[in-house]
Formats: sequence, structure tokens, C-alpha cells
Amino acid sequence: MTGHIVRIGLRSAVSLLAVSALAFLVVAFMPSDPVMIAIRAWNLPVDETTINALRTEWGLDRPFPARYLSWLADFVTGDWGRSFRTGEPVLNEFSSRLPLSLGIGLGGLALAALAAVPLGFTAALKPGGIADRFSRLLAITVQAVPAFWLGLVLIWVLGVKLQLISPFSAGVDVIALAIGLVALHSTGMLARVYRRDLIEQTAQPYYRTALAKGLTRRQALWRHGHRSAIYALLSAMRSEAGWAIGTTAALEVLFGLPGISQFLVQSISARDYFVLLAYIMVVASWMLAVNASVELTLRRLDPRADR
Amino acid sequence: MNHVPRHALAAATASAVALLTAIAPATAQEALKVGTTFLLGSTDPTAGSAGWALTSHGIGEKLFMVDKDGNLVPELAAQAERNSELEWTVTLRSGRYFSDGTPVTAAAIGEGFANTFEKSKTAAATGGKLAFEAVDDLTLRVTTEKPVPLIQALFAEWPLVAYMLDDAGEAVYTGPYAIAELKADSHLELAPNAHFDGTERSPITLRKFGDAQTMALAFEAGGLDLAFGLPSEVLSRLKANPDLTVKSFQVGYQYFGFLNTARPAFSDPLVRQAVDLAIDRDQLVAAINGGQPATGAFAPYFPFTPAEAREFDPEKAARLLDKAGWVVGPNGIRSKGGAPLRLEASTYPQRPDLVTMLPVVKAALARVGIDVGTRVVENANEVAASGEFDMFLWAQHTAPSGDPAFFFHSMLRSDGPLNHARYGSEEFDAIIAGFSTSGDLERRAEIALDAQQKLFEDVPVTFLVSPAWHVGVSERLSGYEPWGSDYHVIRPDMGETRQQLP
Repeated sequence: MTGHIVRIGLRSAVSLLAVSALAFLVVAFMPSDPVMIAIRAWNLPVDETTINALRTEWGLDRPFPARYLSWLADFVTGDWGRSFRTGEPVLNEFSSRLPLSLGIGLGGLALAALAAVPLGFTAALKPGGIADRFSRLLAITVQAVPAFWLGLVLIWVLGVKLQLISPFSAGVDVIALAIGLVALHSTGMLARVYRRDLIEQTAQPYYRTALAKGLTRRQALWRHGHRSAIYALLSAMRSEAGWAIGTTAALEVLFGLPGISQFLVQSISARDYFVLLAYIMVVASWMLAVNASVELTLRRLDPRADR
Repeated sequence: MNHVPRHALAAATASAVALLTAIAPATAQEALKVGTTFLLGSTDPTAGSAGWALTSHGIGEKLFMVDKDGNLVPELAAQAERNSELEWTVTLRSGRYFSDGTPVTAAAIGEGFANTFEKSKTAAATGGKLAFEAVDDLTLRVTTEKPVPLIQALFAEWPLVAYMLDDAGEAVYTGPYAIAELKADSHLELAPNAHFDGTERSPITLRKFGDAQTMALAFEAGGLDLAFGLPSEVLSRLKANPDLTVKSFQVGYQYFGFLNTARPAFSDPLVRQAVDLAIDRDQLVAAINGGQPATGAFAPYFPFTPAEAREFDPEKAARLLDKAGWVVGPNGIRSKGGAPLRLEASTYPQRPDLVTMLPVVKAALARVGIDVGTRVVENANEVAASGEFDMFLWAQHTAPSGDPAFFFHSMLRSDGPLNHARYGSEEFDAIIAGFSTSGDLERRAEIALDAQQKLFEDVPVTFLVSPAWHVGVSERLSGYEPWGSDYHVIRPDMGETRQQLP
């Protein structure tokens, strides 16, 4: 197991390095010159002196490889640069905002997984029943309806009409609503994955044997299908982790929650390089961490994998 | 003890309760909740546009400011006098304090400004790098690098917020509020500055919204006492709600169209004049649900704004086009030498009003036989700088320091850095050169009027709308009267809790 952890760690580190190089390349060659954006935004005089001074100050006058290596060395040692929009260290901004973003994303994913098990199990128990049809409807609906739109509707109903919540207070009620919306997006899909795997188990000889031994369908499914279906559900969570990032970002903006995505939105139009790079690295780290966690958990669930 | 009738006692109690109830909202220390679509990004006064945001949020003050009537008036300063071409003496008001209780002195203010000029190139745009010397506690000698005829206007520019640096090198300001907590792009907690004027004030929570529509929802949900900058399309819905109050006010921004004189069609002044005459500004105002037809380059409350309305005369416009050789064809579109009269009109979505105005302009020009293609671009500055347009609808605060010179110099002078119309007129340049020699306000207003008259003749720009913006206020802030565009959103009077007796 230790060897496997080391392998996953090394693979993740290499992946992160590749992502960092690609991200630096993309951000560096984004259209629009950040110096000119700053000059216009700050009403600076458009002359060579000003342009050259800003280029030197931000290190934009150095060759690309030198800029990349310098940034990478600083990044891994905890110097994520300063936002040239706010003037504050990027690491400080992210440190104070990341817990909220992670809380919403992870909370939503965890809640989705918790809700998917009983929903998927009930759906598998009676294919074509109410739970089955509901889980299908949920999976399709959330794919068609963006979380942003659904959030707006909930603000209108719960905040404006019923005044049950203060939709922009960044309070517990709003954070709970955001977690619920992230969870809603993944619950239907995870429930369908879990259900599908459970139903596949019903074709297996050991399932039929369990029924022949006198177990009810519910008991047989739980005892002989659940573990395998959880395996499938965890695998599916890897792809849902990406959706959770997008949904969390949209909801942070919608509800005015002070997470990293809210900070990112303004930084994009300002071409705030260090913030954009930090965001890409954080998202890549999140995806790699989720992948690694799921992979290790799956190995724990399936001892054959270590053979 | 005399017997007091029970009903009299009850009446007195009821009166006392009623009085206390009436007073309670005014004396409550609950934070006022303000929503905007912009927020201070950094507490460093030299960073980005922090100088503007600090003033807008009621944290900082400047030596001079533009008041609600558009006049340039002293704020932290009492007066400024010119000693020589490059030297001024500024006298500060007495009895003023920074938010930590330190008295405002010329030395402290001078040190703050010196720090600003050391770090901010924006601050040096008008007068070059300024030097400061404290003559006594309230007298500051200011030396400019370039001649500045009106230093009051320079000190009203947004980068020049006044502050002192404390022992830790942090800026301390003089405004009615001080920063308690700042979360960039999210919210700002403001605590009353106890040393401002002795008036008790409620704290303020200023929350930033990603878009104005969401802010309107927050206002409707009762989550805001002040929603600054409501979108015009929600006004009818909000005004239909008796629990909500929406106020509209004139801003210093102007909506206008650059006419690219370097393009073939607009190289002929007759065509530009025809366009200026063909657009019905009343229709534009109706389309964006607020404001008034522009009479020139500036908002109506400035003393250098022309009084007469711009002429709307489509028939005269048609005659000018005829005279220019553009003949109406069977399809209603004019052409000359077989080439149709087609213009490309652009604008940008960051000011939604401009996008709303674009089809109205297209329809107006179609009526006189001009075919207009429309385009909305994200990168307005790049497109404008490239010159790939015939007409560009634009929004600009044309006198942010209360002085007209900056707009003409930067956007219309032959070598102006933002001369998107590619306008080149020696006569116009000569008129605005007068700004460099006269500091007299009346004379500067005359120069501004002369310059606008020249623009009306040459039409490198068609001035369209002096817009109104909209704010929503709760009952608690029903007395709030917005002014000063977005330069003075939070003001000393809005958080006062001292009870005003009838």
C-alpha cells in the first residue's frame, strides 16, 4: 500500500508540473496585454516610460522560460505572488477563501453521495417505480437546468417572495443552500450509477443463490450488491468533482460568497496573472487529490487490486 | 400624591412607547447594508483605483472635491493660493483629525501625498511629480513639476486621497468611516470614525454584487438599505412595490458616439453633421429609462454645459446627405458612385445602456437612408484603439475633477492618447490650449463652451444622453439623496443616528 501511495504521489506531482507549464503558457499568451489593461483602468499616461516600468515591475520583460521557472520556484516555496489588482499576496487571499470553497464543494459532493445511496437503492429495488423514475428525472433535469438558474429561482422564491432566507448575507442558510445545490447536481447521476450497478448484481449467480437461501430482495441487494455499487459510485465521483468546481464557482458569484471563484471572476478581466495561475493550480490539485483519494479508497474496497 | 386617572397613565405610557418606537430606528446601531457592483480592492491608497474607491466608500477625503452642484469646493483644505508658476500654498482646515485621533497637519498630509506621488504614476498625470513642504501645522507649500493653472482641480482628482502613514506604514484616513474589515470582491465592514465630527453613526456593511440584477433581487428581499446602481430594466418592477423606494439621479457620465473621421464615410463633415441631426435623443432617453438628452460634452449640472438642446431634424439631415452626394436608392439606402452608405456602429456590454441605445441609433439613421451594421464588443478599448469602426457608442465621466480640460485633452486633442475619433483640428487644439494659461473658473468655462461649439460644427463626436442612474433605499435610508455619480456613494450624512427632533 505504501508503495502505491508513493506511486500515486509521484504521478500527481508530475501531472501538476505539466499542468503548471501548460497553465503558464496559456495565461501568458492570453489576448490583451495586462499592462495596457492596467494603464487604461488606472488612467495612467500611455507612454513608453509607463509601459516599460510596468513590464519590468511585473517581470513581463523577461524570456518566457525564465519567467516560468522563477514563478514555479516561488510557487512551491509559498510565494504565490501579489495580485496586481489588489496588491495583496495571492496566497493570503486563497488561504482565507479556500475553506469556504472547499466546504461547499466537498460538502455538496459528500451530501450527494449520501443521498444517492438510499435513492439508488430504492430505485434498484423496484425498477420502474417512483424512486427509479424520480432519480432518472433528477439526473436529466439537473443536466438541463444550470445551477445558476436554479439558484436564481430559489433566491426569488425563498428570499424575495417568502423571505425565509437572506440570500446575500453569506450566512449559514445561504451556505447550506449552496451545498444543497451542488449536491442536487450530482445526486441524480450518482444515484443512477449506484442503481445500475446494483441491478447488474441481480444477474449474478451469487445474488440468485442468496435469494434461494431465503433472503429478501432488499437483503440480498444490500449484502451482495452494495459493496460493488459503492465501488462504481466512488469512481463516478471523480468526474463529479469537476462539476462540483464549476457549480461552486457559479454559486459563489450568485450568492456573493467570498470564495476563491468570486475572487477569480474579477481577476480574469484584469488578466491578474498570479491569481489565474494560482486558481488553475488549486483546481488541478483538487482534481488530483480527489482522484488519488478515490483510487486509494477503491483499492481498500477491492483487495484484488493489490495482488 | 395626587391621584392620576388610570386612563391618563395609560395614555402617557402609550405616548412614551410610541415616541420610543419612533426614535428606535433612527438610533439603532445596527449596521446599514449597502450593495454596489464595485468594491475597494486594496487598502493601499496608491494601488489601482483605490483612491477613488476610498473616497466613494466614505473612508477618505481629498483636499478639494466636486460638490453636488458640480462646483469645485474645498474639502480637507480651506484654500489654495498660487505663489508662482510652479508653487502653491495650500491651507488646511483646522480642527480635523485622522481616524486614529491624530490631528491633521500639513506635515502628515504632505508625507502621505509624497508617498502617493512616489508610487502612483496616475497622480503625476496632470502636474508631474509634486513636492510638499510643511510651512506650519496647517500650511503646505506645494511645488509642481509642470505649470498647473488650477491646482484645486488637480487635488480633486481621484488618486489624490489624503492620508497619513502610521508607524507601521499603513495609511490612516480622515473620512466619516474607517475600514474594520475588507474582503476583496466580497464585502467591506466600515466602522464610524469617532474623530470625524462628533456625530454618532451606524456601522456600514458594504457588499459587492457580481451584477446589478442580483443586487436588485437582494434589495427586493429586504437585504439592503441602499442598492447603488440598479439596472433600468427592473425599475418598473421595483417601483410597483410600495415597500421599496427607488431614486434616480443625474450623473457626470455622458453617453456619446465617436464618429471615426478617418473612415471614408465620416471623412466628410456633412455626413457627420447629418448623423448628429438624425438621432432623436428623446427616444434614446426613453429607451434607457432615465436621463436627459445631452446638450454637450458634460452633465447638465456643470457650469460649462451648453444650455441649448441639440437639434433633431431628420429632414435637414437628409438635405445634408443629398448635398454630400449620397442619393436615396429604390431600397431606401443612400449610395454614391454605386457604393451604399453603410456604417459599422459598435459598443460594449459593460454599460448595458449603450447596448440598449444601439438599435435605436440604427433605426434613426435608417430613416435618413443610412444602413447601419451593429456590433457589441467585449474589448472596447482595443477596438477603439484599432480604429475598426465608423461609430462607437461610449460612456465617459467627462469632468471627474470638476474641470473640463482633461476630457478634451485626452479624448479630442489631435495628439490625445484616447482620440478615438481621429479628430485633428488646429483650431480646436488652439482653443483648448487656453486651459494651460488660465486658472480662472469662469474663463475655463468659456473655453469649454467654445471648444464644444467647435465640436458641434465638426462633429467628431455626437453627444447623445446625460444619463440618470438609479438607487434603491430602504425606509431607514429614505432621506438619502444620491449625487456625484459613483464618487460619493457613502457620505457623512447617511449613517447618522442622532435623532432629529421635529
